[in-house]
Amino acid sequence: MIEKPDFEFDESPIKINNLTQTQLLIWMGQKLNPESPLYNMILTFEMNSPIDIPHFQTAFQSLINKCDALRTIFIESDGQPIQKVLPSLIYELELLDWSEKIDTIFLYQQWKDKRIQKNLELSKILFDSVLIKFSEKRYIWYFNQHHLITDAWAVSILYKTMSDLYKKTKSGEPLQIVTFPSYQNYIDFEKNNQEDTTLYKIKSYWKDKLKKLPTNPRLYSYNGPNFNTDSKRISLNIGIDRSTKLRALAQHKDIRSLTLHMSLFNIFATILFAYIYRISGQLKLAVGTPSHNRATKAFKETPGVFIEVLPLMIEIEEDDSFITLFNRVRSEIHEFLKHAQPGTSNAELSRSYNVVLNYIHSSFSTFDDFPTKSEWVHPGHCDPRHHLRLQIHDFDDSGNIQLSFDLNCDVFSDFQCESVPIHFMNLIDAFISDATQPLKKPSIISELEYQQLAININQNGTRLKKEQSILDLFELGVEASPDDTALVYNETRISYQLLNKRSNQLAQLLIRRGVLSGHRVAVYLRRSPECIISILGIMKAKAAFILISRNNPVKRVNYILENSKASLLITDKKESDPSLGDIKIPVLRLDSEMELINQVEEIEPSYPVDLRSLAYIMYTSGSTGLPKGVMISHRALINYILFASKKYVSLQKPVFPLFTMIDFDLTITSIFVPLVTGGHLVIYKESKSATDFSLLKVIEDNSVDVIKLTPSHLNLLKGKSLKNSRIKTMIVGGEAFKSELANEVQSIFHSNLTIFNEYGPTEATVGCVVHKINPKSLSSKSVPIGRPIPNMQVYVLDDYRNLVPKGVIGELYVSGLGLADGYINNPKFNSSNFVPHPFEPDRKAYKTGDLVRFNHSGNLEFLERKDRQVQMGGIRIELGEIESTLSLHPDIKECVVVYRENKKNVINQKTKHCSSCGLSSNYPQAELDEFDVCQMCRSFDNYRQKTKKYFKTLDDLQAVLRSNKAKIQTTYDCIMLLSGGKDSTYALAKLVDMNLEVLAFTLDNGYISKQAKDNIRRVVKDLGVDHVFGQTPAMNAIFTDSLQRYSNVCNGCFKTLYTLSTKLALEKNIPYIVTGLSRGQFFETRLTEELFWKENVDIDHINKTILSARKAYHRTDDAVCQHLDVSMFEDDQTFEQVRYLDFYRYCDVSLSDLMAYLDNNLPWIRPSDTGRSTNCLINQVGIYVHKKKYGYSNYTFPYSWDVRLGHKTREAALDEINEEIDEPYVKKIMLEIGYHEPKNVPDEEKQLVVYYTAPNKISTSKLRKYMISRLPEYLAPSKYVHMLSLPLSTHGKLDLHALPNPDASLPDTIESNIPPGSEIEVMLVTIWQEVMQIQPIGINNKFLELGGNSLTAIRLITRINTAFDLDLSVSCIFDMPTISKLGKHIEQTILTMLDEIKESI
Amino acid sequence: MYIKLTSYIEQQLLSGNSDIRILPEDDLLGSGLIDSMGMINLIAFIENNFNVVIPAEDMIIENFMTIKHIERYIIKRKSL
Repeated sequence: MIEKPDFEFDESPIKINNLTQTQLLIWMGQKLNPESPLYNMILTFEMNSPIDIPHFQTAFQSLINKCDALRTIFIESDGQPIQKVLPSLIYELELLDWSEKIDTIFLYQQWKDKRIQKNLELSKILFDSVLIKFSEKRYIWYFNQHHLITDAWAVSILYKTMSDLYKKTKSGEPLQIVTFPSYQNYIDFEKNNQEDTTLYKIKSYWKDKLKKLPTNPRLYSYNGPNFNTDSKRISLNIGIDRSTKLRALAQHKDIRSLTLHMSLFNIFATILFAYIYRISGQLKLAVGTPSHNRATKAFKETPGVFIEVLPLMIEIEEDDSFITLFNRVRSEIHEFLKHAQPGTSNAELSRSYNVVLNYIHSSFSTFDDFPTKSEWVHPGHCDPRHHLRLQIHDFDDSGNIQLSFDLNCDVFSDFQCESVPIHFMNLIDAFISDATQPLKKPSIISELEYQQLAININQNGTRLKKEQSILDLFELGVEASPDDTALVYNETRISYQLLNKRSNQLAQLLIRRGVLSGHRVAVYLRRSPECIISILGIMKAKAAFILISRNNPVKRVNYILENSKASLLITDKKESDPSLGDIKIPVLRLDSEMELINQVEEIEPSYPVDLRSLAYIMYTSGSTGLPKGVMISHRALINYILFASKKYVSLQKPVFPLFTMIDFDLTITSIFVPLVTGGHLVIYKESKSATDFSLLKVIEDNSVDVIKLTPSHLNLLKGKSLKNSRIKTMIVGGEAFKSELANEVQSIFHSNLTIFNEYGPTEATVGCVVHKINPKSLSSKSVPIGRPIPNMQVYVLDDYRNLVPKGVIGELYVSGLGLADGYINNPKFNSSNFVPHPFEPDRKAYKTGDLVRFNHSGNLEFLERKDRQVQMGGIRIELGEIESTLSLHPDIKECVVVYRENKKNVINQKTKHCSSCGLSSNYPQAELDEFDVCQMCRSFDNYRQKTKKYFKTLDDLQAVLRSNKAKIQTTYDCIMLLSGGKDSTYALAKLVDMNLEVLAFTLDNGYISKQAKDNIRRVVKDLGVDHVFGQTPAMNAIFTDSLQRYSNVCNGCFKTLYTLSTKLALEKNIPYIVTGLSRGQFFETRLTEELFWKENVDIDHINKTILSARKAYHRTDDAVCQHLDVSMFEDDQTFEQVRYLDFYRYCDVSLSDLMAYLDNNLPWIRPSDTGRSTNCLINQVGIYVHKKKYGYSNYTFPYSWDVRLGHKTREAALDEINEEIDEPYVKKIMLEIGYHEPKNVPDEEKQLVVYYTAPNKISTSKLRKYMISRLPEYLAPSKYVHMLSLPLSTHGKLDLHALPNPDASLPDTIESNIPPGSEIEVMLVTIWQEVMQIQPIGINNKFLELGGNSLTAIRLITRINTAFDLDLSVSCIFDMPTISKLGKHIEQTILTMLDEIKESI
Repeated sequence: MYIKLTSYIEQQLLSGNSDIRILPEDDLLGSGLIDSMGMINLIAFIENNFNVVIPAEDMIIENFMTIKHIERYIIKRKSL
């Protein structure tokens, strides 16, 4: 039922049409916001001329009669909108006569504000026309039309026609009833266009655009869906001068286009893109801009809505200048215009932009030959998807370009609304003044913003008392209450007086040992009273202290001592401790010399302390490079401690725990604040294990009032109920603090808990920005870090060190009293991190490397480390946002998102290597330390000595080989496995030297190089030994299987070699097979670290374990078992009849001696037709497949052992590992052997990876679904790794570098794991995860499916035997391949043992 | 080439208005015969019919002032 419109219309047939694309989008926009006048197009024309009112009314009625657009209404039919043109419409133009009224300016303003809000109902008249008389010679014509029937061009047609019609009626000329061309023509044209198949090029252009749609940029960080249509227009005349300069720029030879308007449009579009980039940081951007669509003369004369908004898309380069960006924008606009055909817009394209550029070149110059002043009035509403709309026009041809910014009120605060035009104008000026300057260079902020962002925020200075140091404050406490407790450690209580006395005594001793004012003294202790005494004592001796936590390796200690030029080290390590043998400076050993200290005469040190002198040097452990020593002066320290004492301590005698590592600057708060506020410190003993659970003890003891800790610490408290906790104040620092966690902590504690979020790099003394958390106002994802502490200044700057506007992300710079004096002996980092102050050239500021922004309430928010900043395809990604979203998932406890290399596809990329052995840094257990030494080298140092027992002499070998000679009737003493390489050739020669009968055996795998074969033939002939080539037709199948299973060819080849040679040995009754494996290979394949754990290494036991592993190895099902006869391995007897000996276990020969021997004694020539040390042409295939899967060569591990044992130089190993792979050759061989490379989904080079902890693994598809429903799809990571716990550094911070390679997690194809139940299973899971480097492993996952091999089996069983004090054989791992089965077996074994013990008793 | 260009302009851009004949030396933009939008359509037409690509930086008046200029430009462009 259509409501009858309140106007008359005749009965002639009505034209009904569908809507054009633009009309459809407007109609939908109006439907979504039915009450909002967002599509009112209001023009007011101020006419300073006498107007004949009746003639004006007649003229307007004729205008309606001429124009079908004005007679169009919109109704719905079956839910679809249609438009109807009414044949006639009688309209009475409203007349307001205010010529008698006073204060008409105010009256008009009031009237207008109300009238513009008028809702034009779609099914009724869609315009509103009023003539207001102010005086005989001054009128305003107010003309509002709904955007469904008009656009700016149409308004100018109507205005001009109205002027003509009025002139004619006034002069009595008859009005011709010539109508405008009908809008119907355009509707038909657009429809035909859409059906026109010849326009496929146009259509595919926009289809391609659709695929490239960027996400909407966040203007001044505004982030969120927006449904509010409230909008504010800020208009700005850029001025004649600037307009003239712009027109001149538009004529420049590098800028000009066909017309001035086109050139200006190109310029403004460039500035707009630059502006969006500067306020959002996003590189890939789209801006909507209308195409006017009036291509023909007739369309130019047709009123109606023709314009169609389509996106311009640009990808800005970080180093773009205005002119380089301009060139791309000009080309994009050129293409845009060529493809902007009527009917191409659609809802999807219109979602690609939230910024619209509307360059209008219509003008409304005169009415009735009198000049008019026209104004486009903003209705106060706008499409909510358009956060910013910039209209550029000069309606009155004044030469003064006007900019109107329509700004959505949800997105822009009132203050920002005023800043937007200034930011934009600063970019206009920058373009005019130097088009070649980088887009990022000019400052865009206003004076007012400078005042706010650089001055007001930092006005917080308080005067420090002259010459009062931390020691003065401490000693005041000693005087005031000498007997109060200062330290508690287990059962020991130490009073202020005693603490003071001991530290005075220590100071005396230090001075006697030569410590002078300005010296540095290092403290290498666990948390203890001695540690606090040392700190105070060192300061009292006027030296600076350096705290080094006891879990630091000696190498790092040495580095710190050397770097800081420390004059003395205080430690409790015993003299006998060999690891401290390298220390080159005097050592004060507290354990043996404490008594001495206690006897030193106590002398109060002389004061005052020079506040400019150093209080301490704190070494930061950066993620890369060597540690840097941050020099903190007494002034910086006292500034922080005074602030902290005032801010954090509200009660008398506060108790703090000391439970964090002493070399973590967070600990400084806990050490000093209680001692200067009359409180005391409860010292918690350090545990020797990697994870320190002291925090749990602190919570359990419930004896402290104030605690300082990291968010990762707080994660440990989740799920506890701490309503009765004594803790009143919590200071959280060290890492980003998420709102969810803050809320959870608030909820598990009592309501009196106050939480402070403290931010600060070590370089600005512990904390320099602080925020007291108001639990009710935690809206953003991360808790704000707040505002600077007294005497500290903060600046948020861009790469050119301009202040960035509020909301925009920049890097935080800090300066002030708390600033460190720089890094000790580190000029490189001093100049890069301590930079000239941005506004006061004679001062310094510290560049934090942290990305922050000011939020609306003026507090700083921390977002990300700059080096974790992610731009993915031109779009800035906030990892924190993804983390926050995921942490709302009910099953997820903690999570972290990283953007990391996808190492899989990297074949010929250079990686970092261990500085000692050359192991690739991406090898799973490499764990390079800051000196780039791998974990294996570090740990081998501890058992290298013990391994010597495993090795024997050539005499021993001879004895073994001869021992059976008498017993067995055989032609040969042994088989020598001769690969033809240098090692096996030398071994063969040596065996012959021993007068043994040797049968040389070579596996011809089809890929031995010709030169290698020649070598073999020459050598065996020369030595006069018998030789056979072993072969199998199944070789290719074995290669393929080996590549699939182990990602190399060698495993398959070796097993074939052993199988064939064992068979031969059995047939010919040969008792020994001798291998030419290198010593490196022993460690690679069997001599695991675990075998040398015991204090007294039992070689027999090792031999047994290895033999047991060998049996299991031969019994493992694979292609060798399927294609060759392996039945003999079923029988243990085989391993009695044929024994395996490794030649190099008995022979230690240097590489040079070996080569010299070969050169002098044998016709062996180094082959030149293979990849270096190998004789095998198929080897590269294995390396290729392995690198592709794991990112490192399968040789990096064995070669690292060769290097470690001195059989290869690191350089030679690296040369071979990093050798270019000849991919075409590899592909050719793959084809030959019939290996099909697994089809890799074309991975991005880098990807978002989520690591999370949850009770159970959640399927990737479920997690992705969850994320996609809450975040834009591009933000939803595709890789999810389930962890039992996230790795923490010793400082209790999340350790990003310790996160495993995502490919080391269980693939989704393996059935999800069942978590362990019994205690035995829990222990087994821990052992398995450590050895297999996979997390998490469930109790039903199979050993082989997890990538297990005999080496891992040895490691597992040795660890299991140690843990349970058992003596299980390696075969157990293969026989009971799951934790569940193995666990039951272990349980049974233990029970049986107990029974036996009982029985024996 | 001349006939192809003029007939496109007359048919498409001037809506077949038979009163107007385009001459080789008529100033197309300056005289208001066609506007910048029409010019873009003309350029798209040229690209599709004369097998040339016209880059944005060539969109200057020297290349497109009259039919004669356009012809000269197309020939020059094709010879590149």
